[in-house]
Amino acid sequence: MLEIRAATKTFYKGMPDEKVALNGLDLTLVDGQFGIVIGSNGAGKSSMLNAISGAMALDSGKIVIGGADVTAVPVHKRAMRLARVFQDPMKGTAASMTVAENMLLADLRSKSRRLRKGLNATRLADYRERLAILGLGLENRLDTRVELLSGGQRQSLSLIMAVGGKPDLLLLDEHTAALDPRTADIVMKATVKAVETLKLTTLMVTHNMQHAVDFGDSVIMLDAGKVRLRIDGDEKKKITVPDLIDHFAVKSDRMLLAG
Amino acid sequence: MDALQAILSSFLTLIPVTLAQSLILAFVVLGIMIPFRMLSFPDLTSEGAFPLGGCVCGVLLAAGVGPLPAILAAIVVGFAAGFCTAYIHLRFRIHTLLAGILMTTMLYSINLRIMGKSNLSVFGTPAVFDWTPFPAGFPAAKIAVAGLLVIVVFLGLYAYFNTERGTAVRAVGANPDMAEAQGINVWRATVGGVGAASAFSALSGALMVQSQGFADVNMGLGILINGLAALMIGEAITGKQTVLRQLLAPFVGAVAYYQLVSLCLAAGMPPPDLKLATGLFVLAMLALPSLKRGRGPRLAKETMRE
Repeated sequence: MLEIRAATKTFYKGMPDEKVALNGLDLTLVDGQFGIVIGSNGAGKSSMLNAISGAMALDSGKIVIGGADVTAVPVHKRAMRLARVFQDPMKGTAASMTVAENMLLADLRSKSRRLRKGLNATRLADYRERLAILGLGLENRLDTRVELLSGGQRQSLSLIMAVGGKPDLLLLDEHTAALDPRTADIVMKATVKAVETLKLTTLMVTHNMQHAVDFGDSVIMLDAGKVRLRIDGDEKKKITVPDLIDHFAVKSDRMLLAG
Repeated sequence: MDALQAILSSFLTLIPVTLAQSLILAFVVLGIMIPFRMLSFPDLTSEGAFPLGGCVCGVLLAAGVGPLPAILAAIVVGFAAGFCTAYIHLRFRIHTLLAGILMTTMLYSINLRIMGKSNLSVFGTPAVFDWTPFPAGFPAAKIAVAGLLVIVVFLGLYAYFNTERGTAVRAVGANPDMAEAQGINVWRATVGGVGAASAFSALSGALMVQSQGFADVNMGLGILINGLAALMIGEAITGKQTVLRQLLAPFVGAVAYYQLVSLCLAAGMPPPDLKLATGLFVLAMLALPSLKRGRGPRLAKETMRE
């Protein structure tokens, strides 16, 4: 479960270029819920993800993951509870290390690391099996350094790494935006499959309205650091792309009038 | 023809002495390689940690402490030096190179304080090299002890970097943001890794003092560039694609580099020119990729080579 309570964050406070990133944001995802976050640039999507992962400290407010208040917990300790896939395929993997070593790192995310051999036969067999699900042939390239993989392969690997160990919360930060349509489709299908089989509580940020319509059981629209609109349940199932775009349109009309 | 023969014969007679020296100095090269390659933390602390280890060892030997405890003390103090460099970088966000220069500069005073004077003779005190069946003071004894130590350290590190913890340390060097997101404590890995690297440099200094029979505050002068040159030669020979190759590089490089220096000296190069030659060599190795790129259009974003 994820709970964000009255989160606020202002950059450059008191300066001429003051920027309110989060303005009393409230958001709850119950266990197993798959929330899709949309919103225009600067609406606070990235700030929200950074606040959840711990990369950005809040000015005020509270963040609870899986029942534990993690507001003051550093990034590497929050990793016990959450996993994240970044937009940039380079960010989520260690380029100079092999596929198997990357899998090992993710495998140990919520465990204590010991002074024993990391890559043993049991683990390698497990990694091979988990990578085979993708159908990209990564299972035969365990000893390949990740920098030699394509962007799509790296992102698929990031995804398998993130969903392993069944994190309390999965954060997807426009994770298909940098991929070509075919690869984006493969990664998205693998994502949905993993989220559904493992019943992961998931928050996905996207600019792709079709994805927002097709996937997830809740659409959350952010604007000016707040949740502006949230559509759940049956209403979410009926929503169409034009409906969503209308909500953006209302906002931009207002911005025109205000300007 | 005679001249060539003379050069060759003087080089050949020097091989064992040079080998002994290079096996001892291999630990400085290791102390440069670990932060540089495993942690992406270009570090200059070894220039100060090497004489620090030497001075601590020298003072303790002069005070009648056994050679082994003296080496252990040097290792502990060396670790502390690297720990400080890493802490300065992490806590105050000071560039790693500047943090290393700060530490090295401060260590010079500290080394003088430890010894109370600029050099100290410990000739005749017991050394770890006395514990071999070979006659003490001869290169064979030094080669045996330093060589054994090299093998033990190499195997130990190779095993370590393949453990769960060692893999995590390497991840910090490969991608610190990713490492942190995978639950790895980047601070602990960096401080521990840079500390261990300086401990190796200090170990080298301590062994050197026991080998040459005196300690000197200036014994580290230029050791960093020598070590860097050795590392580059090593990497050119072994490559650096795998942990095994990367770990072999400092040892292979140290042996090759010091034999090369010995050959240059035997060929009549004046010793004062050595640092210039080494510096030019390191410069050439660093400049090679950009020279290979030729006179084509410059990269839009110039990336710094560290």
